Amino acid sequence: MADEVHQWSDELARDPSSLVFLPLAEALRRQGQPAIAQKVALRGLQRHPHNAEAHDLLARILADLGDLQGAFDEWDMVLRLSPTHAGALKGMAFIRFQQGYPEEAEQLLVQAQSHDDDETIASAIATVRKSGALGPGMVLIDPFSQPQHLYGDLLSPEQAAMCLDKDGLVLAGAYYAGDGQDVAQEIGAALSGVSDEAVRATRHLDIGAWRSIVFETEAAVVALMPAPASAASEGGLVVVAAVPDTPLGLLRRVAERCTTRTADWLGRVAG
Amino acid sequence: MSTQFTAVLDALTRLRGVRASMVVDAVDGIAIDSNLQFGQDGNRVAALAGSLYRKACQSAQAAGLGGTGFMQLEADAGRLCILGGDTLVLVVVAERDANVGLIRMEMRRAAQSLA
Repeated sequence: MADEVHQWSDELARDPSSLVFLPLAEALRRQGQPAIAQKVALRGLQRHPHNAEAHDLLARILADLGDLQGAFDEWDMVLRLSPTHAGALKGMAFIRFQQGYPEEAEQLLVQAQSHDDDETIASAIATVRKSGALGPGMVLIDPFSQPQHLYGDLLSPEQAAMCLDKDGLVLAGAYYAGDGQDVAQEIGAALSGVSDEAVRATRHLDIGAWRSIVFETEAAVVALMPAPASAASEGGLVVVAAVPDTPLGLLRRVAERCTTRTADWLGRVAG
Repeated sequence: MSTQFTAVLDALTRLRGVRASMVVDAVDGIAIDSNLQFGQDGNRVAALAGSLYRKACQSAQAAGLGGTGFMQLEADAGRLCILGGDTLVLVVVAERDANVGLIRMEMRRAAQSLA
C-alpha cells in the first residue's frame, strides 16, 4: 500500500489533472490520515467539480473527521450528480441516524436498497428500525438514561457496541443480528472469560497488559477492549463490531470512544 | 528434526519482530510444531492461543458472523497473532512494533500452503 501511495503521489505531481487523486485520497483515509486525504480530495475536486465519486470520497473523509453536516452536504451533492448513488444514500442515512432521525435514515436506506442489493443495507435497516421503535431523537437526548442505547450516537447504522461484565452479562449496548434479533446475551456468553484468558496469555508471554483484541469474520470485524475499571465492569469487555471493509484503525478509534463513554456512564451510575 | 511445517514456520519467524511461530491443532489446542525464539513453554502458548481463538469463533457464530479468520491480541509490549483453518491454527508471537500487516499477509500465505 505504501508503494502505491508513493506511485500515485508521483503520478499526481506529474499530472495534477489525473483522477489518481481518488485512490490516493482513499488509501490515505484508510491509513488513518483523514486530514491529508481531505487536502488531496479538495485539490482533486478543484479540477473535477462534477465528479460524483470525488464528492462521495470527500463526504466519507469528512465523516471520519466528525464533520457530519459537511459530509451530509457532500453526499447531497453526489445525489445531484448521480441520483441513484447508493453509497451517498447510505452515507446520508448514517448522518440522519446519528442526528437522531431514524425514520428518515430508514427511508434513505430503503432507497439505497432499491439501487444496491448489498446485504449490509438490510442489516442497517434492521438496526435503524429497532432504534426507531423507541422514538426519534431518544438516543441523542440522553444516551446515559438508556444503557441499551449508550453508544447509539457514536456508531453508524452498520456498527454495534456493547459492554459486558466479567461473566459475559450485558451491562450496556446491544447487538442486533441481520434478522433484527438482539443476540447480545448470546455473544456475551460466548465471550465470557476472554478477558481472563487474555490476561493469562499476556502474563505467560511477558508482553505486558492487554490493550485490544481484534478479529475478522466473514461478515464483520470485531474489536474487544478491557472495560474501564469499576466494581461493575472489572474483568469485563467493551465489544465493537463493524462491516468487514472497516479500516482497523477506525474500528479501534470507535472502540476507544465507546470505552470512554462506558467510563463516563459507570462514573454516573456509581454516583 | 524437520517436518512438513518447518519451512513455513522458519519463514514466519524470519519476519522482523517475530519471536515465535507455531502450528496448533484447531480442536484440542495442542502444539504440532513450533519455532520458538524465547524460553517459553510452547504447549502452554498453544493452549492459550487456541482457547482465545475458539472464544472468538464461538462469539462470531453466536452473532451469525460466519467463520473467523485473522485475530490479533495487542499488549503493551507485544502481540499475539492467530490465523485459523479447519484443522490447524497458525500462531505468531511478535514485538509490539512488528509490522502486523506483513505478518497477516505471510500467515495467510502460510495457511494456503498448508491447506
